[in-house]
Amino acid sequence: MNRSVFRIAGLLMAAAVALQLTGCATPMGAPQASIDNTTRLRTAGIAPASLGSFTLAPGQSAGMDQGVSLRGSRVHSPYNDSFAQYLKETLRVELDAAGLLDPASPAVISGMLTESDADAAIGQGTARLAARFVVTRGQAVTYDRTLRADASWESSFVGAVAIPLAAGQYQGLYRKLAGQLFEDPEFRKALAKPGM
Amino acid sequence: MTIAFARTLRRAALAAMVAGSALLTGCASFYVDTATREVPVAQFKKVANPKPVALSFEFQSRGAPNPRATEYLRAQVQEQVAGSGLFSAVGGGSDSARLNVELNNVPKDGDNAMGKGFVTGLTFGLAGNVVTDLYECKLTYLPPGQSTPLVATARHAIHTSLGATDGPANAVKSASMEEAIRTMTRQVVANALNELSQQAAFN
Repeated sequence: MNRSVFRIAGLLMAAAVALQLTGCATPMGAPQASIDNTTRLRTAGIAPASLGSFTLAPGQSAGMDQGVSLRGSRVHSPYNDSFAQYLKETLRVELDAAGLLDPASPAVISGMLTESDADAAIGQGTARLAARFVVTRGQAVTYDRTLRADASWESSFVGAVAIPLAAGQYQGLYRKLAGQLFEDPEFRKALAKPGM
Repeated sequence: MTIAFARTLRRAALAAMVAGSALLTGCASFYVDTATREVPVAQFKKVANPKPVALSFEFQSRGAPNPRATEYLRAQVQEQVAGSGLFSAVGGGSDSARLNVELNNVPKDGDNAMGKGFVTGLTFGLAGNVVTDLYECKLTYLPPGQSTPLVATARHAIHTSLGATDGPANAVKSASMEEAIRTMTRQVVANALNELSQQAAFN
């Protein structure tokens, strides 16, 4: 009898916590420019650029662009339910904050989402994000590289703690990936100001 | 079902509810630490020629963005920065100065809030506990056109008592969790703004 009682108690406990603290779908917060990336861009010596298309890489399942599942809770992008669009928005706010966004610029940055995943596993959580970035000037491709960012962290056994933390860690990868792009010497070379 | 079993089941259900709720509801009391106190705006070093600033604020949990908490506190922080007298306006363009405010919630070493709440709940609140959340506020200011930021930091804490236990001595009890969070935020941001205002390079 006692085993049954404690099993019921356990279920009620899990339900109580779950009802109070979790949801089925969580939109990511809007990306914000970071001082680190503004500093990177201001010291990069690059000319203003425009943003082209950001899409899911060919061959990847549409689900990869639409959300990541964290213990049954879905995290998704507030921009057309697309992580590729979230990546574009991340670059937009970062370039804009540094005064380097010019929709009329002949230098166009495009991107394709190649990897997106997060896992709020008990013990250690992990997340990864990768994208292929291409810079074009007219018909010429001046930059084409795939960059990858990942994270790992201590993940609680309690979903109410683990899920928001994992969502935050995953969201943070977009800023990190943008930082990698801005630091890449080849990217800087592709967007270098004339005469530099 | 026997009466004894029904009683046991009811106790188990109660224990479950208490365990699930102890951290966030009636069994928890919230205390704002007194080591960090509010610094009045009048104490900030006056800026001779205040400039507009583009502000961004982010609440973080263990260094990761926390969108819900960010939205919850954004207006308060924006209002506080605007009222600090350190800037002529909040909301400049890309050529203006930039100020990033990060408020990072980190657990105190060795504190396990969920674990303590669980124990408190299972003992119907008799095994009281106090857990502490630390908050690190980091202001990063980037003057217009420059690439070397100024940094100012401050720390704060909120203590949460669970079950039958006295609150910590070095803290003031808040009426609610919301009040504790808002008070902590106002005080820690004020301290960081004051530190920023005292830096020679800021003026």
